[in-house]
Amino acid sequence: MIYLDNGATSFPKPREVGRAMSWALSRFANPGRGGYPASLEAAREIYRCRSAAGELFGCKPEAVVFTGSCTQGLNMAIRTLVKPGGRVVISGFEHNAVTRPLHALGAEVTVAGRRLFDWEDTLSRFRDALKGRPDAAVFTHVSNVFGYILPVEEMAEMCREFQVPFAVDAAQSAGTLPVRLDRWGADFVAMPGHKGLLGPQGTGMLLCGRLPEPLLQGGTGSESRRQEMPDFLPDRGEAGTLNVPGISGLLAGIRTVTRLGPEAIHRREAEEAARCARGLREMGFSVFSGARQGGTVSFLPEGDCEAAADRLARRGISVRAGLHCAPLAHESAGTLETGTVRVSFGYKTGPWESQAFLAAAEELRGGM
Amino acid sequence: MKMYLITFRSITFAQKGEGALKRAGITCTLLRTPRAMEERGCGYCLTLRGGDAAAALGVLRSAGAPYRKVYLQENGRWEEAAL
Repeated sequence: MIYLDNGATSFPKPREVGRAMSWALSRFANPGRGGYPASLEAAREIYRCRSAAGELFGCKPEAVVFTGSCTQGLNMAIRTLVKPGGRVVISGFEHNAVTRPLHALGAEVTVAGRRLFDWEDTLSRFRDALKGRPDAAVFTHVSNVFGYILPVEEMAEMCREFQVPFAVDAAQSAGTLPVRLDRWGADFVAMPGHKGLLGPQGTGMLLCGRLPEPLLQGGTGSESRRQEMPDFLPDRGEAGTLNVPGISGLLAGIRTVTRLGPEAIHRREAEEAARCARGLREMGFSVFSGARQGGTVSFLPEGDCEAAADRLARRGISVRAGLHCAPLAHESAGTLETGTVRVSFGYKTGPWESQAFLAAAEELRGGM
Repeated sequence: MKMYLITFRSITFAQKGEGALKRAGITCTLLRTPRAMEERGCGYCLTLRGGDAAAALGVLRSAGAPYRKVYLQENGRWEEAAL
């Protein structure tokens, strides 16, 4: 199988990830709950992961709140920054992980910047929207559908200038692009553990520049007499037993990313996405590509996108078709009715996989 | 020998403190806080045998590892210490 759906999850995982999870299952008890070796060793493993993440993303270990997914982190961030009916600015390329929580809160949402790969448009529209003094801004670093890398450094700077609290969705960038809580001055940065960080599914992190409102209340192993959740990090955001095997696997993933180098991974993925975009365009497909693109490229087959993905799957090529849980991004690009076929590269994919994909894509010409 | 016990609000801060003290060459042990010394419920602490407790607290402050209370054991009894 040629796996080109790394935007959904990285696959296969580094061997070290499975080994670490297996080790955790046999060695670690519940961290932060006991004083015996198996509990303390579990806590040490958790702290190693907090420290590794903090070092990679520019924050203190205690500012790393473990979550079950990027979505969970985004929900916590949004619930903290936005009150029911509040006013929020988002980019035109947000995932449902951002838009659905805002919809549930009845937020008044301004969508700023809808032109793909156009930083000037993104920044000017975003600045205009911030002038209205919204309660918060939430924006993605990289579009999960089109691989468009948004100018987050500049957007963060604008938020600071207008004193608008903000959260960044780093679902498609953590592990490949520079993500820094300290440099951005963000209130929150949410990320999955199982995509660019190469960890297992069911892991994620919320980097906290401020105290979050907890999504869940429950045991934290600290200040147990109090009925309020602790007013300090990371405990405030971590009710219940942590996913110890998952976090062990995540630590192994982070170490692999650190060893390989996020920049090198990004370069490799972006090169393959560009190669793929060129090849598809030469075949006559409508391709969404631009200068500021990561390791993801979307295109329109001549017929139904799901049927095209199915035909590719039968040739052993795994890609994703449809709306990719981001109808807003499709609306911005004019593909809400058709969807797209998305090809997303990973830390292990190279020219051979691209060529095999392009050879299979040749057969899609002429429609279904 | 004097023994100090430093309490923390969470295991994360205790671990942060443990790492900072070890990097400073100060030997310590991470333990659950004895029930009588943790009025808010559960917590973790670091114990130090002998040595300079004031210096250890300075290391913790510099490392951003906030501690809650310091206890000193002398003649088998623990007393809160003002350092």
